[in-house]
Amino acid sequence: MVGRSEMQEKKQIVKSARSILKNYLVLVMIAFLVLITAIVEPKFLSGSNLVNIMRQFGPLVMVSLGMTFVIIGGFIDLSVAGTINLVAVVTISLIQPLGQVPALLIGLLLGIVCGALNSVLILTSGALTQAEALFLTFGMSTIYSAFALLYSHGSTMHFWDISASKSIFEAIGSGNIGFFSVSFVLFLIFLGILWIFQSKTAEGRAIYLTGGNKTAARLSGIGIYRSIVEIYVICGFMAAVGAIVLFSRITTAAPVIGAGYETSAILAVVVGGTTLKGGNGSVLRTVMGVLLVVLISNCLDLLGVSSYMQYAVKGAILMLAIWLDNRKQA
Amino acid sequence: MNIAESEYVLSIKDVSKSFPGVKALDSVSLDVKRGTVHGIVGENGAGKSTLMKILSGVYQKDSGTIIFDGQIIEHTTPHESMKRGLSIIYQELNLVNTMSVGENIFLGRFKEMKGMRGTHAKAKELLERIGCRINTYKLVSELSVSEKQMVEIAKALSFKSKLIIMDEPSSSLTNEEMAELAKIIRQLKSQAISIIYISHKLDEIFEFCDIVSVMRDGHVIDTKPKSEFSRNELIMKMIGRKIENEYPERPRRIGDTLLEVRSINTRKLHDISFTLRKGEILGLVGLVGSGRTEIVRALYGADKVRGHKIFIEGKPVRIRNPKDAIDAGFGFIPEDRKFQGLVLPFTVESNISMASIPKFTKFGFIKKSIEKNIAEQQIKALSIKTPSSKTVVNSLSGGNQQKCIVGRWLEIAPRIFIMDEPTRGIDVGAKYEIYTLMKEIAEKGGAIILISSELPEVLNMSNRVLTVFEGRITGEFNPETTPADAIMSAALGIDGREI
Repeated sequence: MVGRSEMQEKKQIVKSARSILKNYLVLVMIAFLVLITAIVEPKFLSGSNLVNIMRQFGPLVMVSLGMTFVIIGGFIDLSVAGTINLVAVVTISLIQPLGQVPALLIGLLLGIVCGALNSVLILTSGALTQAEALFLTFGMSTIYSAFALLYSHGSTMHFWDISASKSIFEAIGSGNIGFFSVSFVLFLIFLGILWIFQSKTAEGRAIYLTGGNKTAARLSGIGIYRSIVEIYVICGFMAAVGAIVLFSRITTAAPVIGAGYETSAILAVVVGGTTLKGGNGSVLRTVMGVLLVVLISNCLDLLGVSSYMQYAVKGAILMLAIWLDNRKQA
Repeated sequence: MNIAESEYVLSIKDVSKSFPGVKALDSVSLDVKRGTVHGIVGENGAGKSTLMKILSGVYQKDSGTIIFDGQIIEHTTPHESMKRGLSIIYQELNLVNTMSVGENIFLGRFKEMKGMRGTHAKAKELLERIGCRINTYKLVSELSVSEKQMVEIAKALSFKSKLIIMDEPSSSLTNEEMAELAKIIRQLKSQAISIIYISHKLDEIFEFCDIVSVMRDGHVIDTKPKSEFSRNELIMKMIGRKIENEYPERPRRIGDTLLEVRSINTRKLHDISFTLRKGEILGLVGLVGSGRTEIVRALYGADKVRGHKIFIEGKPVRIRNPKDAIDAGFGFIPEDRKFQGLVLPFTVESNISMASIPKFTKFGFIKKSIEKNIAEQQIKALSIKTPSSKTVVNSLSGGNQQKCIVGRWLEIAPRIFIMDEPTRGIDVGAKYEIYTLMKEIAEKGGAIILISSELPEVLNMSNRVLTVFEGRITGEFNPETTPADAIMSAALGIDGREI
């Protein structure tokens, strides 16, 4: 009897250690990564590199926060790359003729429209599975990107060509509020709002229930169609925010500026621990995921790993994250 | 005597099979003679499908022996049993729609047929053996259901089958197609091929079968030549189980009309109209696929329906989706607990609270303390056995999971409660609790529409019963005064009023 209870205790300890590892795996990995890189490459902790990390973090975290809702709702959105392309070239081109505030608002509205369009197409075509949504939004991404190319005639637009005031964008790109950069403060604000929406509101709950079981949710009177529109609108809006943060930082907008953001955002969300199956996850986890993704690519940069190799690493991490997620469910 | 030359193509002895919480087969024995059509009848859940799935190798038996064609079969797979000469034709046919008839018959065996030309030639020959002239180059997607069935039979013949099992083969056939099937069955019999014919429909059983076995609750109740069975005896044996205090008294205080439904018409439903009164439990009796679930889904707004009219207390209401239905006072327990009822990875609490979110939302914000109270109140009221309200609902037993769904609705106190298979897969004790609850709901002036595959449940709980057959209401009965076999006959599509 004693032996058995001891064994049970041991099992309990192993179990709780496992659950800590499961839940905080990303944090552990981040700490490990920081430690190793800091030892191997002291430049890692230098001020200029940390600024560099923050800059990479800014646009991606915005896009990933939006993506989190789509994935919690049990769907996926590959169109963010196209949305970013379109919003970036349209917004930057309107600063000169319309002024910066209208340009900013139109840019954000465009993101919302792109997201809403995705959801309307999903609902009207009845593409209510994640796989169908994957292809549908992939198609939409191509269309948005094509519009970006048509609109800009394929050319890159630069801040220095704009004579009108662009102080807002300059502030977003390189301004500081006290100790923090403007873009970081923006991130904190959006994180706060989205976290409250996610965990404190009935709409947020409806999104979780939709992701958990669409049929059961609908039969219990949850407006799942409304939730689907919401998640895509949030995702489109946050992609637009990400686009603005991105081109403000690099002061130029090419019509292909958003390429790769869809996969990075999905990677960050999944690595953060939000399951692709839907119904589970959090924007806070996504922040961890983004941090890890950005740190990995920064470390690999510092260690002189070629960018081709970095793609392979990113892919491998995504596989690993999905694999771990499936094991967790089983 | 050499058992290979035994008169039985198949001998099943004392085969048992359990699933978690259910004994699906309890030492079942059955012998099938060579060249006969052996009918198996029984209610849903009697164990017919489980037995067939064990024969084909989809499931493995727990104990007992199976001798097929003189060989003892221990462990088999669907492919192996097919090669041995035992084929099953399932209700949902297993054909590749995008391939041709010939390709489907010899799927994966083109090499043995010496290429496509040989395949199609051999396929044609097999089809002709059952008197069928489908062009073998035709795509399966272009065939009618009965033609597809013929392709399946030809496929079975291509494996030199000695026994073909047909699982509800007639469920989607027209009358002409049925005649066609009858012809094929006679042909197969004349070629000394045995057939196990599974059906609910007694007409077919009496038309096609030589010997009939009745299954109930995982047992074979009786096996006799068809001529020794009377129709009534068969029905009695299918449904007749002893019922003693399995059910509470029926609700007694029936009031005015609460709900009136007028002419629901869809592809599957034809002119469905009925009324429901306060304090009443109305049972819908019909086979799976009869349309009974579609009726309540249409009523509840779960499926899109146009042109019907719904009145609650005489006032017209429009129900376009479940939300409208809930606002109009409906509650709905869906037939499939795991896929339609629960959000399995979520907590007991959020599963209970999900229909009453507006009750604990203020200005769009959720009040978690109220939500917790709601959940704990229902857990207590229904004595749901769960470690806490934060436990994942998937880890509860079936009965307790079902109570979570019941609690979800009790929280918003629906006036019209639709219950589709409310006691499926739950144990006897939990069943009784749910029956008691139903009675309470009715006695408080609510009304219940009850659907169940267990006929005794409907008959013992309902004040009134409607029988549904092929999308139509075929009869209305008072279960207290009508014998069960009369109701069953109406549900089986035999004349609705009397036997």
